[in-house]
Amino acid sequence: MNVTGILLFASFLAIGVLVAKVVGMYIRRTLSDRIPKNELNIILRVANVGILSIFVLSALPFVGVNPTGLIAAGGFAGLVVGFASRSVVANLVSGVFLMIERPIRIGDQVVIGDVAGFVEDVQILSTIIRTYDGLFVRIPNERVFTSNITNLTANPVRRFEYVVGISYRDDAEKAIEIIRRIIEEHPFALKEPEPQIFVNELGESSVNIVVRVWSPSAVWYDVKTELLWRIKVELEKAGIEIPFPQRVVWLRRETDELGEDVPS
Amino acid sequence: MTVTLLSNFHRTVSVFAPVKVERSNGKLIYEREGLRKILPECEIVVNPVEPVNLPKNVTRYLEVEFPPILLRPNSTETIYLKFPIEIGVFAKYGDKVTVVDVFSYEKPKYTLYGSPRRGVVCRWFFSEVHYDIPEVDRLRHGVMRLDIRNGGDWVEVGKVVLDCYAMKIYYDSFASCWAEMRVISKSVAVTDFLDRPIAKGMKKALELYTTRRLMGKSFTMEWGLI
Repeated sequence: MNVTGILLFASFLAIGVLVAKVVGMYIRRTLSDRIPKNELNIILRVANVGILSIFVLSALPFVGVNPTGLIAAGGFAGLVVGFASRSVVANLVSGVFLMIERPIRIGDQVVIGDVAGFVEDVQILSTIIRTYDGLFVRIPNERVFTSNITNLTANPVRRFEYVVGISYRDDAEKAIEIIRRIIEEHPFALKEPEPQIFVNELGESSVNIVVRVWSPSAVWYDVKTELLWRIKVELEKAGIEIPFPQRVVWLRRETDELGEDVPS
Repeated sequence: MTVTLLSNFHRTVSVFAPVKVERSNGKLIYEREGLRKILPECEIVVNPVEPVNLPKNVTRYLEVEFPPILLRPNSTETIYLKFPIEIGVFAKYGDKVTVVDVFSYEKPKYTLYGSPRRGVVCRWFFSEVHYDIPEVDRLRHGVMRLDIRNGGDWVEVGKVVLDCYAMKIYYDSFASCWAEMRVISKSVAVTDFLDRPIAKGMKKALELYTTRRLMGKSFTMEWGLI
């Protein structure tokens, strides 16, 4: 190893970093509109690591290292490290399988175990979730891979449901008509699959009307909250009562022989 | 629908009420129903745009449903349908254009074409079938010429689903577009927008989605044609 060799090695590395950056920038510009962000990230990482590896391996002879021997030694070292860090390897392998199977993508809303929120990143060792209250949660990929994953936005549409209780005195058909009109007026309450509105139960305190509406997954929560309030307001406007739970209690009154009240 | 320069914009702006543009301290103040934007001196262009942006962009597809028509084997039918339009307001400087606002006089409604697992959300619109260019409310609706080519057996068609990111709108006194539907079987068809006006003298509208690189403009209707 001499100074010239070290300088050449450093120059090669610098050129490698530069080339990786330029290629990364080009890939980002070319593909950012075409493919999902998580796939773009994977391509960027692969390109980055690939280019740097080529430059490092090409530069090694300048410092007197034979790359063939290094690769063999690297393979052995990899085995040792692999055994020593089994969980890291498990996370790594799980990460690769997650990227192949792709049950979640960046931006999806998911529930993984007891964590719910938006997928911020799917990295090689861990998955980053931003919970609905804005917390950063890092879940090791092995846990993600072995957990039940509920992807709330994987399908283009999803359904939500309300139970609207109206008083026994009110006209259920009129209430259904009002609810149907409100749903038809909402742009994101989908026309197909058709909404369902029907009397489902004669409850203790109310006639229960079930309302089922399909909406684009991207906006379903907004639609759900908007519609519920509009239904409440419009039913009240039409004089239809949404009753509180109530129970009629009859008190028996007992008297003694003289006609006096006695405690029962 | 008019492409307007700022110099005559105020004369035509009443057509687009409630839009208001005022000049203040060398800037243009654009206002519409609570939205307020400050623009540099530029040309303001108003024209019909792809109807998939309001109230929020959740899809790129438009489904126009119409009373089913029956097509003979190996036949071609040309029909005219109405479709909803949205109005785009653009700022133009030289040949560079950016969108300022999109609004509509037409109430949007969305639907699902296909299954909840693999279908697509579409802007939905119902139109009667016309065999000549119909009269339209030019601020709400445009006219779509649809050429349906049936290369197979008898088939019934009652809807068309199109990818609006490839929509080419032309306009003069009304907005228009030209689409094609190639029927493959009783439940499968391929649809495309064609880049040509349906009448002479129409001007091509500025598009919202030209800058996006298109992955392909055809749409395969594989979940039925009625």
